Amino acid sequence: MFEVAGLSYTYSSGRAGLANVSLQAGPGERVVIMGPNGSGKSTLLRLVSTELPAPRGTLRLFESGWDSTSRRLASRRLRGRLGVVQDQAVHFDELTGMENGLFFAELYGVGEPEAEPRLAALFSNFGLEAVRDVEVGEYSYGMRKKLLLAEALVHDPELLILDEPTLGLDPPSQAAFLEILEDRSACGTCSLIATNEPGLARRVATNVVFLSKGEVVAQGAPEELLEGFGGKTTIEVSVTGHTADTIAVEGATVMAQQGRIVAESEMGTEILPDLTIAILATGLEILRIDVREPDLADLFTTLTGLHIADSRADSSVRGEDG
Amino acid sequence: MVLNTLIPLLLVTPIAYSAAPAAHAAATFAVLFTLFGTFGSSIPLIRDGESGLLGRLGVAGVSPGGFLLQRVAATATLDLCQLAPSAAVIALGRGASSSDLLALAASATLGLFAANLLGAFTAAVARSVAEGALFAAVSALLLLHLSGTFRPSVPGTWQATVEGWMPFRPLHQSLLALAAPSSSSGAHSHLLPPVVAIFGILAFTGMVGRALMQPGLRR
Repeated sequence: MFEVAGLSYTYSSGRAGLANVSLQAGPGERVVIMGPNGSGKSTLLRLVSTELPAPRGTLRLFESGWDSTSRRLASRRLRGRLGVVQDQAVHFDELTGMENGLFFAELYGVGEPEAEPRLAALFSNFGLEAVRDVEVGEYSYGMRKKLLLAEALVHDPELLILDEPTLGLDPPSQAAFLEILEDRSACGTCSLIATNEPGLARRVATNVVFLSKGEVVAQGAPEELLEGFGGKTTIEVSVTGHTADTIAVEGATVMAQQGRIVAESEMGTEILPDLTIAILATGLEILRIDVREPDLADLFTTLTGLHIADSRADSSVRGEDG
Repeated sequence: MVLNTLIPLLLVTPIAYSAAPAAHAAATFAVLFTLFGTFGSSIPLIRDGESGLLGRLGVAGVSPGGFLLQRVAATATLDLCQLAPSAAVIALGRGASSSDLLALAASATLGLFAANLLGAFTAAVARSVAEGALFAAVSALLLLHLSGTFRPSVPGTWQATVEGWMPFRPLHQSLLALAAPSSSSGAHSHLLPPVVAIFGILAFTGMVGRALMQPGLRR
């Protein structure tokens, strides 16, 4: 479906945007790109969507389709096979949601008779029916984002390129989006998604790619990556009061703070019985226990020393934000 | 639309009904008509580029050249409609003939298309709305100057040859004819050289226009 090999990109400032990135995906696959701001996620998506000009390296879209080395402009027909959700949810504010949808459907070669019922179904999935005839200028950010998703899906694209697709969506719309994404994948649609939500990445990705400073740090199926990682489970116990006593549990590091006790262990929840006994032995009362398994964000931090949502990681000049 | 029609009338009406010399009145009208076109084309294009809308259209596969041509044609038509009452006020105020008014219709169509094209060109090379406004004003005023709008034309000089090729020359000549219906100073100019010049601007705009819809090209 798409293949990038040795892809590099340098911004006008001379800063490296991408360095020797290689990855590929076939029909039905969902590749999730994770990395902090400025890591090159959006740049990679803009290159694959043919928005940015031909870079160094090779970008090949579809088996017999466009290839960046040919220096040809991507044709309207080829771009019609892509469904793109950019980070900016921009529309014609003076037109209604439905009018915007029909306009973009028309650009992708889907006429009004065919597009209208498809859009109506997508509006229904995303909870936009009530505002379909309202001017987009009156939409909230989340509504604009949902409209953007509907516009990207209306022409049944073969390759979906989605930049932070769930950012700003309410939980029912997120669920609807995930359902649609899974349905489309089952029909052979390939997806390239940039997100920093570990839960979303783990749920949808067939392949996760970690980007840091424009380079691929690791890639693989999420379960494989996490299995190799091990990582520490964090158990947070809310308690009444504070103890000066040391709480020691074999195989865990335990920190006592006012109102809570945090334990980290590579043994997962196996330490939970010993931990609760140790806490109760100090005379504290347990109010609540939260368990957080290691996720892809933890793995990224272990590999790079960077936090995945750390916006300080690199410069984030408008238009060059990764 | 209504506001854009009324605002030019605020300037045109007092001048058309005053004793302002025809050359000065015509120059003012020519500047108004031209800047109406260049600013009206340049600034919304830059704003649409900054908002990401043009980039979206580009990603959807809209051809930059075709898009700009359609947009310039549409905005020039709107400008023509919005300036028609002002042209009518000038004609009434100065007692112009219907043939002068017809000549103005043709030259204003050409001039407004050129002005909108110039606006699209400046939008493609500008990096902000302020820069776009500056580029649009400077380039339009320069072309108006080269059209002989701000000085008397001296036949046989190189300046007179250049004037003949300027896209705003016919507009200025028609406005002069409208402002001074009884004088012979407003002789109508030939349209072919300015039309050729407009094709030149069109070619340049086509070359730089891709940058508007593919922001990554501004490197």
